[in-house]
Amino acid sequence: MHKCDCNPLVPDIVEVIEIVEETPDVKTFNVKSEKGVPFDVMPGQLAMLSLVPVGEAMFSVSWQEEKEYLQFAIKRVGLMTDELHKIDVGQQLGIRGPYGNGFPVEECKGKDMLFIGGGIGLAPLRSFIKYCFKHRQDYGKIQILYGSRSYADLCFKEELFEKWPGQKDTEVFVTIDNPEEGWDGHVGFVPSYLEEINPDPAGKIAVTCGPPIMIKFVLQALEKMGYTDEQVITTLEMRMKCGIGKCGRCNIGSEYICLDGPVFNLAQLKKLPPEW
Amino acid sequence: MMDIANKIKEIAKKLLESGEIDVFIAWEKGNFDYQTRPFFARTADDVEKIVFDEYSVHNLANFLLKYRDGKEKIGLVVKGCDSRGIVRLLEDSQFQRDRLYIVGVCCPGMKDPLQTMKDNSGLNKNPAADSLAAKCKSCIQPNPVIYDELLGEQQNPGIEGERFARVREIENMDAGERYQFFAGVLSQCIRCYACRQVCVACNCRTCIFDETRPQWVGRETSIEDNMMYHLVRASHMAGRCIECGECERVCPVNIPLMLINQKLVKDVSELYGPYEAGMEYIEGAKPPLSTYKENDPDDFI
Amino acid sequence: MKVLSKDKLETVFNRLAQESDVYVPMQRGEQSGFFSFLTYDAARDEIALDILNTYLPPKNIILPQTEKMYSFRQEGTKVNIEEVYEDSQPKIIFGIRGCDAKAVECLDMVFLTRGYEDSFYKSRRENTVIIANACYAPGPNCFCESMGIDPVNPRPADVIIRDTGNGTLVWEAASDKGKKISDQISEFLEEKDVKLPEAKQCQRQVAYDGVAEKLRDMFASPVWDKLSEPCQNCGICTYLCPTCYCFDIQVKSWGEEGYRFRCWDSCMYREYTQMAGGHNPRETGTERFRNRFLHKLEFFKERYGTSLCTGCGRCIIACPVGIDITNIVDLIKEVDAGA
Ligand code: SF4
Ligand code: SF4
Ligand code: SF4
Ligand code: SF4
Ligand code: SF4
Ligand code: FES
Repeated sequence: MHKCDCNPLVPDIVEVIEIVEETPDVKTFNVKSEKGVPFDVMPGQLAMLSLVPVGEAMFSVSWQEEKEYLQFAIKRVGLMTDELHKIDVGQQLGIRGPYGNGFPVEECKGKDMLFIGGGIGLAPLRSFIKYCFKHRQDYGKIQILYGSRSYADLCFKEELFEKWPGQKDTEVFVTIDNPEEGWDGHVGFVPSYLEEINPDPAGKIAVTCGPPIMIKFVLQALEKMGYTDEQVITTLEMRMKCGIGKCGRCNIGSEYICLDGPVFNLAQLKKLPPEW
Repeated sequence: MMDIANKIKEIAKKLLESGEIDVFIAWEKGNFDYQTRPFFARTADDVEKIVFDEYSVHNLANFLLKYRDGKEKIGLVVKGCDSRGIVRLLEDSQFQRDRLYIVGVCCPGMKDPLQTMKDNSGLNKNPAADSLAAKCKSCIQPNPVIYDELLGEQQNPGIEGERFARVREIENMDAGERYQFFAGVLSQCIRCYACRQVCVACNCRTCIFDETRPQWVGRETSIEDNMMYHLVRASHMAGRCIECGECERVCPVNIPLMLINQKLVKDVSELYGPYEAGMEYIEGAKPPLSTYKENDPDDFI
Repeated sequence: MKVLSKDKLETVFNRLAQESDVYVPMQRGEQSGFFSFLTYDAARDEIALDILNTYLPPKNIILPQTEKMYSFRQEGTKVNIEEVYEDSQPKIIFGIRGCDAKAVECLDMVFLTRGYEDSFYKSRRENTVIIANACYAPGPNCFCESMGIDPVNPRPADVIIRDTGNGTLVWEAASDKGKKISDQISEFLEEKDVKLPEAKQCQRQVAYDGVAEKLRDMFASPVWDKLSEPCQNCGICTYLCPTCYCFDIQVKSWGEEGYRFRCWDSCMYREYTQMAGGHNPRETGTERFRNRFLHKLEFFKERYGTSLCTGCGRCIIACPVGIDITNIVDLIKEVDAGA
């Protein structure tokens, strides 16, 4: 096999070793290469996956399990993801990365953490959440607020309802948009639930990811509660093709989201033109 | 033409001041005597800049697509060919007649400022003489076919020589020669899609070439993909092209697109006609290839 | 001074073409562009070193409009990357002008700096020799001087040639690569004192100073609505621009085989930023128009320290509706940033 390790646009090959159906339109894919993980990723970083004959698309890596495998939670939204949802274990994929800056895990050390996610937006947050649990002593109190349209649409249910609530000094709040038979948890949108919980900003970093409309209202709510722009972090989505700051399309102002992002704090975002 | 320009200004001013329209589309002068360019007047002050001269070649009807989803009322100037473009848009239900105030001008033939820009740029070793635009030399309808007000004196068609002479020449080639000819010209295409962007007949909301699920036409500038692009676009123009010549005029690499369009004009007229696209507006009328009957004997589609 | 007689040009091209693909400005039918000397056909083409510049920019030589990246094979569930197409064929761009040379520098910044080197670009670029042609008489749409370029001293260049106007070219090697090329053709170079024409100033000047800074506060300005109104988002200005570098990555596959390629793309197109989920951050033509001018005049300067417009004037000449970047700069200077 001809493989050039130096060309950043040519993918490595990985194999899908496990597929988990999270929701009717989200599946988690575990992939590994001959050497285990094709590369090391930090929480919040991205990788370009390709179903080689079909297409390439950029995804946030939702977890790196040691040197074993990478995990991607992928929602069906277009041609490439439709096809990805059809594959079976054993399928080989192309992968290149890691791309982007990732979450500021170092700067957050010693802080209380508030994660606010909606829908598939939990996928990138999860890498940071799991990182915090793995390095539990480095972070203070952990609060996770997550919502989806319905119970069926909640991703990572086992972690949400079993694993995470049992962790030391951790609170997990889950909500769904509309009432539903058999659901006795909270009903309502994430931003309003956030205001109900009203988590104190002192010593805290809020990290949010979800649909643009949710982010918009979450940011407003956080501001109302007294969070400063430096205390609020989000991760952006743009169309990406190269991942290495060359092809042009993922720009917001002079920043390329694939390279300089996707993670920004609100203070940084406010300096960019409002195209996010 | 000064006269006509002054009348256009008068009309535009009156319409804008009375609030009858929100914007008036005409032309203004650019940086050179030969540079006339589309202009959008919204106030009486703007109107002062309006010109109409021998370089007012652009088909302003295409700009209506920018406003198709709005409510604004629009005044615009059209020549014979452009007016057929308006008929095209009305037939395709892309615009409402009552949102338009059409000032028709009988057209004596235009020069192309784009060609003149190129010829005077120093980037062309063999500049052409500053003459009539190519499309005007095959014009069959210099007088507007739809208007609210008509300016200028009726003009005779500018067509020179036999209408489809060039098409016949290509038809008479054998298949191999013809392929060579088209491979030669189409291999130059840089696939900028400018020909589509400026076309009134290209008014689909999502163009097949932008469709990605699935992607119908590859984006390589290879002879295969280029031919596919032009074949598909040509088939979508059959019975719909109003021969405004904008596509060929703007093409940055001078692809003879009107040759393809003229072949379609000729074939549609011979097969389903006699028919010339956009020659009159009859409410509800559709061009030959835009109708569909459930009992169509052909099971294609 | 080393001097090359113009009547020896074809012989020189033939000599250079033994080792390199030599791109020469030619008039080919109605087109002028840099075409490979291998495709030169005297019946059809005219060598055009004497025109101001070519209508088609030379950027496709180092950034081809369509470029195969790698081929692959998928059998069942197994995938193999078969061949990576990095092009290391030596190339010479003969007679590039100062604006286009500067454009190469902009492309270098994009593809060779800031975190990643683009291997496809790099292998092309490293094997490309630039022979730049000094401009003594800029044309009616040139404004390179205003963009910080000295047309008689084009940069970057391996060799600079200067047309004396009397059938000879002064030949100055400007780098090691350039010296090597000079050695290859030394038998055609004579030592001679010649008089150079007097350099004329650009007829167009535009006050670019301070524009990038001013634009920072003009993202939401209503001027964009007005300026973009005539724009048909046709993309010609970006495809003909020597610096526009945006590309798309696509795949072609049949059966078990296929290849991935990249091809030019443009921020003028809606599809460019269209996301799979349906959202498009630049849905309207005005937003796309604004992105083009801000990228040229502000964003690139912020990121790389120089503007992404080199003043070649091609977009001014080729825009079907007469949109003129120098008028836009003038207007930006005039308007009240908040308004
Ligand atoms: S195909 Fe060309 S000539 Fe025909 S309507 Fe469209 S732009 Fe005009
Ligand atoms: S305008 Fe010309 S170059 Fe552009 S896509 Fe059309 S035919 Fe091709
Ligand atoms: S060439 Fe002119 S009309 Fe076309 S996209 Fe550029 S500015 Fe707009
Ligand atoms: S923006 Fe226009 S003038 Fe500037 S480099 Fe590009 S084509 Fe030339
Ligand atoms: S102007 Fe547009 S097409 Fe050109 S380089 Fe910038 S983003 Fe890309
Ligand atoms: S994805 Fe190509 S520049 Fe960001």
